[in-house]
Amino acid sequence: MPKLTIDGQEVEAQPGATVLQTVLSQGRVVPHYCYHPGLSIAGNCRMCLVEVEKAPKLVIGCATVVTEGMVVRTESEPVKKARAAMMEFFLLNHPLDCPICDQAGECKLQDYAVEHGRGYSRSVEPRPAFNKAVDIGPHVMLDQERCIQCSRCIRFCDEVTRTGELAFFQRGDRTVIGVAPGRPLANSYSGNVVDICPVGALTLKEFRFQTRVWYLKNTPSACIACARNCSVFVGTGTQRQIMTTSGQQDERVKRLVPRYNPEVNGHWMCDEGRLSWRSLYAAPRLMQAKSEGATVAWEDAIAKAAGLLRGKGKVALSLSPRLTCEDLYAWRLLAEAVSAQVSVRRIVRGEDDSLLLRADKGGNSRGAAWILGQAALDRSLTDAVRAGAVEALVVVGDPLDPADTPALPAGAAVGRVIFVGPHEVGAAEAAHVALPAAAWAEEDGTVVNFQGHLQRVQRAHLPHGEGRPGWRVVRDLAEAAGLTLPGWAAASEVFASASAVVPELSGLAHADVGILGVRAGGVSTGVPG
Amino acid sequence: MERILTRNVDKHDSETIAVYEGGGGYQALRKALSGMSPEAVTDEVKKSGLRGRGGAGFPTGLKWTFMPKEVGKKPHYLLCNADESEPGTFKDRLLMERDPHLLLEGCLISSYAIHASVCFIYVRGEYVRSIRVLERAIAEAYAKGYAGKNILGSGWSCELVLHPGAGAYICGEETAMMTSLEGNRGYPRLKPPFPAQAGLWGCPTTINNVETLANVPFIVERGADWFLSIGKAPKNSGPKLYSLSGHVKRPGNYEAPMGLPLHELIYDLGGGMLRDDRPLKAVIPGGSSVPVLRADECEVDLDFDSLAAKGTMLGSAGVMVMDSGTCMVNALRRISHFYAHESCGQCTPCREGCGWMERILDRLDTGEGRQADLDLLHDIGGQIIGNTICALGDAAAMPVQSFVKKFRDEFQYHVDHKACMV
Amino acid sequence: MLGPDFEKRVDAIVARYPEPKAALLPVLWEVQRARGHVDADAEAWVGKRLGVSAAHVHGCVTFYTMYKQQPSGKYHLQVCTTLSCMLRGSDELVEHLTRRLGIGVGETTPDGRFSLVRVECLGSCGTAPMFQLNDDYHENLTAERVDRLLDSLP
Repeated sequence: MPKLTIDGQEVEAQPGATVLQTVLSQGRVVPHYCYHPGLSIAGNCRMCLVEVEKAPKLVIGCATVVTEGMVVRTESEPVKKARAAMMEFFLLNHPLDCPICDQAGECKLQDYAVEHGRGYSRSVEPRPAFNKAVDIGPHVMLDQERCIQCSRCIRFCDEVTRTGELAFFQRGDRTVIGVAPGRPLANSYSGNVVDICPVGALTLKEFRFQTRVWYLKNTPSACIACARNCSVFVGTGTQRQIMTTSGQQDERVKRLVPRYNPEVNGHWMCDEGRLSWRSLYAAPRLMQAKSEGATVAWEDAIAKAAGLLRGKGKVALSLSPRLTCEDLYAWRLLAEAVSAQVSVRRIVRGEDDSLLLRADKGGNSRGAAWILGQAALDRSLTDAVRAGAVEALVVVGDPLDPADTPALPAGAAVGRVIFVGPHEVGAAEAAHVALPAAAWAEEDGTVVNFQGHLQRVQRAHLPHGEGRPGWRVVRDLAEAAGLTLPGWAAASEVFASASAVVPELSGLAHADVGILGVRAGGVSTGVPG
Repeated sequence: MERILTRNVDKHDSETIAVYEGGGGYQALRKALSGMSPEAVTDEVKKSGLRGRGGAGFPTGLKWTFMPKEVGKKPHYLLCNADESEPGTFKDRLLMERDPHLLLEGCLISSYAIHASVCFIYVRGEYVRSIRVLERAIAEAYAKGYAGKNILGSGWSCELVLHPGAGAYICGEETAMMTSLEGNRGYPRLKPPFPAQAGLWGCPTTINNVETLANVPFIVERGADWFLSIGKAPKNSGPKLYSLSGHVKRPGNYEAPMGLPLHELIYDLGGGMLRDDRPLKAVIPGGSSVPVLRADECEVDLDFDSLAAKGTMLGSAGVMVMDSGTCMVNALRRISHFYAHESCGQCTPCREGCGWMERILDRLDTGEGRQADLDLLHDIGGQIIGNTICALGDAAAMPVQSFVKKFRDEFQYHVDHKACMV
Repeated sequence: MLGPDFEKRVDAIVARYPEPKAALLPVLWEVQRARGHVDADAEAWVGKRLGVSAAHVHGCVTFYTMYKQQPSGKYHLQVCTTLSCMLRGSDELVEHLTRRLGIGVGETTPDGRFSLVRVECLGSCGTAPMFQLNDDYHENLTAERVDRLLDSLP
């Protein structure tokens, strides 16, 4: 472990680490653009120039491996002058787009210009004009003028997705990035280039001009669009551009960005997951409880549903593989109490790829396997429902995508249907009682990915309408039906109940599940799909 | 003075192997392969004091010692830098067009010295004639068994591969040349790693200039001591080709022992100033990337150390002569355009700074200059120097800084009067 | 794309290098020699053949000044205008050519015979001013020599 001195402080570094990596690992910052921990070293922006004693000139920290006894200065006069010089060069031909640029507020050019720049321009030369608002792919817009030629996006497409859609064209200060004609940036991970672009050259079409980033609240959570559960930040805001606090009923998700998690998704997420929030608003919400199609008070609907549950005949539960562990455990207890058959639906599309995508689109199918058993995942209710073997069917809708909430199968002969879900689709229309549930971004809970990694999903905004977390619906139903279920007051309490019973979750509590989640162990029950 | 490098160039059919062999060619290769170890060849070149003729002047033998002593899992490569694009320089072209076998023999001996199994010759795309001549010469060399498998029964094999450029000055930078040869835009690489450790396709590689390699057969044949007897030993030895251009009566390539006095080149060999009514005003002694010399600074020998002592460089020995009719603002503007056009654009200070300097000089030259521009030019140059991935940024900044400093009155005149002083 | 002979030539070039990508510049030259320029279809073909993306190929075509993305005139006049040639009258040579041909720099005559561009140092500083006409250097030019040369072209 080499020992070196950085700004007068002795630091122990990892062997083979660079000066920049060492400084960053200390929680300090040396300004930089082209360096990214998930990509190769380019060394072209020259923003991370630092002073190393005995070196004849300043060196770039991102490419300088630390050596024993090295003396580094990151705040000396020559370094400060170099930073001001580099900022001047970056800003020289950069368009004054801040007022119309999405990146404002999270723009490294803005940040470093303020912190390290000269503060005024010495240039009177006209700026070159390149193409702005170039549609280069299904999700990405390119503004060639804003680009600072850091090559992060090119390296991403070369090294991570290995699809090579982006390249530099022309030479010198006429250099621009672009795609070949007829070959758009259409890989499954194209949105990541928007995250890594330090400026507003690459923007996400689905986020363009939607809001200013300083109006967003960012909640750490996990994506449930497939069994990878990429760690994310859920960015929410209101329709009116004012500072968002929880409790505003028109708060919506505006974007998802990946959150670094070395054990789950690294630095990236796929486009499908990135845009999965849109399905939350793709169908009308079930805002209030309904009985026989008419809006009723919550208590009345619960009472009616409880009655339907206690009636004669077999009960069956159809659950979404995206429900939280807490919701799934609550439904398990209810199913046991009324001797119901449980089926966890399968959502399988495409194939696993070599990066992050899983064919299993059930964000918590592993959790479902642990909590309800593999048999529940293998069971289909279609035949039983058609044959009339089910008297009371409870359909729990998908918390993310209304398109994955099924309608009753054709020829279904079911006496009583109870629907619990966020959207008024599918079985909700045929239900005798429909109870609004919170959607994915609206409740706290946990999910388990295909590797057995347990993560927290967190409430990013209050449920729309009267939606409640699934476990709360179950608790109310159980109480009204005279069944003995714990009177949970919080998701953590539901988890505590579950971990006492489910072997793979034993010994864990919500408090143990930090920002990056934990690998949960126990007996493997297999992964569906 | 005995002509060494240019001994063949005026002969009829000089580019053929018959003429080359007839003059004693390929004897040095024979000598090296039959009686010397690769290390012995390197030692001789090291002793000779040969310094790179491409522009940097790095000791050639020393550079060869950076290669691994044994060939491991990765092949060794020699890369001949025939991308001659430094303004004012046209000496390598002379050798390639008129004495290609001298270059090939130098390539082969040098490859042997560094245990290379392939020598790539990267020729700038514009040098079509050189490429055609070299193609024929390479075929002749193979036919005679000087290249290919088991050369002259030595057990050592070496292929010669000609590779064309396509119009990019930056590819003359050794790491950019490797990146280009691998099939990419010609972007220079960060160092470390150095080419001798990880060059072409990550394999140990040495890059040498055409003229440098052309010296090697002579050193092997006649010995290091002979080489040291020419020029100004120990550090400025050997014969040198000087490319003379600009306002002289007889521009062209001239061979002389290293250290030829600049006045002799211009007034004796070069026939003096083009127009008798226009005396010498300025000289760029080493290709446009080196600081300019005023006429009163031209009492100097053209060798590495003498020019360094004068605050400039021998560089590629492209001597560009400007007479009193030259507007230095206009000349600098033209030079800046070159660097702005040729900057690869990879790193920020060169990409943005070269274009900025050019645009300022455009305004200065056309009567739209401001007072602040003079110091601004100097500042921009200072912000580039030392902060770039390769030396092109420095090469753009040095002419700007030296011209403005040494001819400031002309630049001031442009600001004040919006017209040329000349 | 350009026939089996062309592809055989490409194969021979690829065989010279340890990795096919290294054949990029020489193969682009083959394309330009066969077709006169390199267009998007050719870029895609070359990329596929050498295992690189079309964008990568386009990046190289636009980086190296000698590759033409559009056909040039039958006689492509590349006039050097860097310092040494400038000192010996390259700008006047360009002037003369624009007047004689009736086109500006960067343009092609309507009959497609001549195109005119300015280029950087061609390594002919001792025989300035000069231009490269297609592959060939024409040095020590004067207005008269230029006129005679252009008049003599078929």
